[in-house]
Amino acid sequence: MKTPFLGLLLLLITQSISAQDEMITLKGDELFGSLSARHIGPALMSGRVSDLEMHPSNNRILYAGTAGGGVWKTTNGGATFSSIFDDYCQSIGAITLDPQNPDQVVWVGTGETWTRNSTSVGDGLYRSTDGGTSWKKIGFEESDRISSIQINPTNSDEVYVGVLGALWGDHEERGVYKTTDGGITWEKILYVDEKTGCADLILHPTDPNILYASFWEYRRTAWSFNSGGLNSALYKSTDAGKSWNKIHNGFPTGKLGRIGIALAPSSPDVLYSVLETENKNDSGLYKSTDGGKSWELKNGDFGLVVRPFYFSRITVNPKDPDVVVKAGLSGSISRDGGNTFKALGQMHSDIHDITFDINDSDRMYAGTDGGIYRSWNGGATMEIVENIPVSQFYHISVDDAEPYNVYGGLQDNGSWYGPNSAPGGVKARHWNSIGGGDGFRVLRHPTKNIIYSEMQGAMNVWRYDVDKKIVNTIQPYSDEGQAKLRFNWNPPIATSESQPDRLYIGSQFLHVSEDMGSNWKIISGDLTTNDPAKQNQEDSGGLSKDNSGAENHCTIFTIAESTLDQKVIWVGTDDGNVQVTQDGGKNWTNTIGNITGLPKNTWCYHIEASVHNKGTAYAVFDGHTTNDKKPYAYKTTDFGKTWTSIISDEVVGFARNIQEDYVNEDLLFLGTEFGLYATVNGGKNWSKFTNNMPSAAVHYIELQKQTNDLVMGTHGRGVIIIDDISPLRNLSQEVLAKKVHIFPTPTTEMYEDAGFSGFFGSETQFVGENPTREAKFVYYLQKRHTFGKMKMDIYDSNDQFVTSLKAGKSKGINVVYWNFLKKPPKIAKGKTLSFAGFTAPRVPAGDYKVVMTKGKETYETSIKLKYAENGIPIASRKAQEELTAKIYTLTEDLAYDVYEVDRWIEIAEKTAKDHPAQQKMCNGLADKLNGLRETLVVTTGDNYVGTAENQLRENLADLYGKIAGNYDKPSVSDLATFNSLRKLYDEKKGSLEALRGKEVKKLMSFLEKAEVNANVKSKEEFLKK
Amino acid sequence: MKIIQLFLFAMLLGVAGPISAQTADEIIDTYFENTGGKANWAKLEGVQMAGKMSMQGMDIGLTIVSLKDTRQYTQINFQGQEMKQGVYDGEIMWGLNFMTGKAEQMEAEMVNNFKMNEAKDFPSALFDYKDKGYSAEYLGKETMEGTECFKVKLTKNPVMVDGKQSDVATIYYFDTENYVPIAEEMIGSAMMQGPPGASPAKMISTLSDYQEVEGLYFPFSIITPQGEMVMENITLNPTVEDDAFKMPEVAVEEDK
Repeated sequence: MKTPFLGLLLLLITQSISAQDEMITLKGDELFGSLSARHIGPALMSGRVSDLEMHPSNNRILYAGTAGGGVWKTTNGGATFSSIFDDYCQSIGAITLDPQNPDQVVWVGTGETWTRNSTSVGDGLYRSTDGGTSWKKIGFEESDRISSIQINPTNSDEVYVGVLGALWGDHEERGVYKTTDGGITWEKILYVDEKTGCADLILHPTDPNILYASFWEYRRTAWSFNSGGLNSALYKSTDAGKSWNKIHNGFPTGKLGRIGIALAPSSPDVLYSVLETENKNDSGLYKSTDGGKSWELKNGDFGLVVRPFYFSRITVNPKDPDVVVKAGLSGSISRDGGNTFKALGQMHSDIHDITFDINDSDRMYAGTDGGIYRSWNGGATMEIVENIPVSQFYHISVDDAEPYNVYGGLQDNGSWYGPNSAPGGVKARHWNSIGGGDGFRVLRHPTKNIIYSEMQGAMNVWRYDVDKKIVNTIQPYSDEGQAKLRFNWNPPIATSESQPDRLYIGSQFLHVSEDMGSNWKIISGDLTTNDPAKQNQEDSGGLSKDNSGAENHCTIFTIAESTLDQKVIWVGTDDGNVQVTQDGGKNWTNTIGNITGLPKNTWCYHIEASVHNKGTAYAVFDGHTTNDKKPYAYKTTDFGKTWTSIISDEVVGFARNIQEDYVNEDLLFLGTEFGLYATVNGGKNWSKFTNNMPSAAVHYIELQKQTNDLVMGTHGRGVIIIDDISPLRNLSQEVLAKKVHIFPTPTTEMYEDAGFSGFFGSETQFVGENPTREAKFVYYLQKRHTFGKMKMDIYDSNDQFVTSLKAGKSKGINVVYWNFLKKPPKIAKGKTLSFAGFTAPRVPAGDYKVVMTKGKETYETSIKLKYAENGIPIASRKAQEELTAKIYTLTEDLAYDVYEVDRWIEIAEKTAKDHPAQQKMCNGLADKLNGLRETLVVTTGDNYVGTAENQLRENLADLYGKIAGNYDKPSVSDLATFNSLRKLYDEKKGSLEALRGKEVKKLMSFLEKAEVNANVKSKEEFLKK
Repeated sequence: MKIIQLFLFAMLLGVAGPISAQTADEIIDTYFENTGGKANWAKLEGVQMAGKMSMQGMDIGLTIVSLKDTRQYTQINFQGQEMKQGVYDGEIMWGLNFMTGKAEQMEAEMVNNFKMNEAKDFPSALFDYKDKGYSAEYLGKETMEGTECFKVKLTKNPVMVDGKQSDVATIYYFDTENYVPIAEEMIGSAMMQGPPGASPAKMISTLSDYQEVEGLYFPFSIITPQGEMVMENITLNPTVEDDAFKMPEVAVEEDK
């Protein structure tokens, strides 16, 4: 018995010794503690919405799936939406509610099915059983995109899933799947091949044995798209998926493309299908009135055949089989059973889904490339929902203004810039349009008030003079005899820190301008592989030609000039080259051959030139366009001669961007398709950042230099910012080994600028969150504080208590804020509240001590506060502080006086009752005291319009509120008012002291004799905070 | 040697917690055992908590009384004024209007919801939860406040929100080391609508500064999205006059 325990003891001891030698690595929440992200949108242009799902019995509830912004839910009929899928893949294919439990059970299939070049990827099927509060993954990890989920209305365990499958490569996880046990096991019940997936699946509303499934043969590469093939088909099953038959009677023969299918719920034999065919004249809307036995072509208008891969949804009015709506460039509606169509009311173009209200068909919702629109008149007038910030940034940049601005370009929504903070929050009206089309890079000139922006394929590059409001179009053209320029859909432009007027743009060549884009010269040969097989975009699209420029390939995709040496320039190409010059473009070296472990021709998405060493750079590669979803990031310290992978197994999702810290070379941030990762040890370990940070695709990251804010452009959740990441710089092993470590607090300026924000519209408009500008204390706790007292108090340089703070108790990093205020004064008790009395005065600039008490231990740190530099003289500030302090003291003096008066009245009244002989003396005193009290505080009225005339307390508090809220010197009239109130106070105090000296004294000595404890608090006790 | 053995045992097993797979009931039972014993919690007749709510540096005095017989009130104090809110006398619920200082009844739907759930939650919603019609489910481990926690969902009785039925539940995060809840999250379709365009603000309160009061452990600090509630004094089985819950019939006008 003895030995095993001794052995265990030894084991434990050795373990604890070896544990001390090991590196302490914090992960996830432990590492980030209370550092949290904030979202500034914008929402005014919103972003692509891929699927809408109406609750079957409660028309207040509607779900929306987005292309890159997750799932949104409204419970107020579409007035406002909230994001409910933050922690998971944000690209949504289909949302379906369980007809039997629509309040609880929500199924979400990830992976958008509108397969444009920039579409994201899915990672499976999810289910919530609590109306979207929490989610569980059900499976289909490799499905890439799920187009449909259908649930038997009489049996919630019987579910069909249509998997469209991988867009960028062959895969067998496609087709129609069925479960009969609520998702535990799945059977693939219809499969065609590894290229053809289920694009649409519908279940008959009353006969759950009948299903329709459309199959689509399709494929994208980085340089081409193909829609259509002999395997595309429409199938029907009448035995719950056991057997399937093609239902093409009336369809043309030959290759088919994407097929949309819909059924009229009020007349289920009526089907509509939209076909993409070999012959243009055969494409269009087909109708069947016999459950698919035969089909008739009804309409081939542009609105019905436009870009089938992007628009194929058909929605039939649930109450009327003749009212049918087809998604499209503008959306089309027919009220005569599909014979004729007109466009839906004006809204953002590119409509992907439409749904009707269950009760009132005049109420409709549409999901577009620019958010959700509602209609109250059957689709004639469309109104945008102003609170869905799912904007899809390709790139962002920042400037050094205060507050700094964020610039960026969006999918189908142009280019914009706006402040990262604004009075009352960042609203729609704070954003400025700075370019049309699809927006990509938007860059601020390093020194001038000039902004560069561009649209797809560099069709236009603009230089906008903000002050003069002049736009110049500046993209280069190829010189005579030179090769045609190839620009990516998402073309790179870059500025230079050393030459402010310099601008770069990349085609297959690197172009440079020294005059802000007016004149260009080429400083490289073709830096790409120039593979002719990847340059046939004219033939791209498949059955429907689609040469939008989105597939342009063999182009430069990223450009980085070193901030340490302007002659060092890095270029990455979409076909997998990493080129560097060290002589400003005379000689170029392709370093891609020096990278191991990276598949050939993997898209170089971003190169970051280090600020620490001119030979150091980071390169990020994205292989998803070859169906390779692994993250790749490499570092070189020798101009690319050698590259080292800095990715660990912890990183999920392919990566597009990396950001290096300006101070600590080992602190890096990586943007992947599923969120943000950070490392504090140069890439040995990565942690996902999840504090208010959704799993959105992070396309671009900037670190704003003055604030150390990490600013992210996400492709689906707008701009997300983590304020001040500097605490992550200092997480050394010594720090982590301590029980408590308080990081030094930098000198903090007490901001004073404010303004009037006007909250109008904020009931239903998105408002971006502002950063806090308060003083910030950061500390690390090795263990969460759960038992015993813990608090943080502030003291001034005279060790006088100032205020207490809300101490953070998490394991890991805690951030605690102080708004520079001390406690508000104690206010005399009146009948009503003195609102001005709630004002807390600001502390003067100077040194303050922060004391953290945790159980029996105390820890201290200090902070120096300085005044805002806005021209207010110190003498004026001191005059303001002095008067504030005087009124503060006087306010508290009065509070205590009133307290004494109130107590004395109570005592006198009680004594009169208990000792009838003293009645006269007591009543006389009480009367006098009440008389005095009425002149000190209001004793009647209410807190609204029934207010009584101000008395001393109210006048004093009003003056106090005015002075304490200012920063500048009090006016002559302020001082005069104070003096007259002070005089009045002294008078009242005189009366009070007179009473104390005579009647009160008499009463007290009576009580003393009667051995009754009067129990009046001392002033110190009364004022204790 | 015996002491060492016990010590080792404790180290190996953690605090009084079953080491095997968890069920919600095991976690909840261990919580009550570790914080004073279920029998002692059962004996409790009432609790009075006095403290303050700190919001942006401003302190509001607070006294919360809750009794086993479902009655409760919250009294807030500022500028020497005492104002009652959320007073439930076993039948109706009322509070003082800040503008007029007059007592007003709470809206019926809210009161009915309160009767469905919160009225039964003394001394804790978790206590004998099945008797209240609630159900508990263990959802696995999750990190909260940097700390590994057992996540237990307590589904309460459905409530009505603006005329429509809605689910409500509380998720408790029990520290796996000591089985004490360090956070509570309110969820439910009623709470799903966040501010426009944001994720619904998570209604998470964190609990800390647990201290013993006559053998039972209470959190003395509760941090909510609105601010921190710090208890200064917790009194068990307080004496409370019946009048304290009674709604004033007429506003006491022009009193001194």
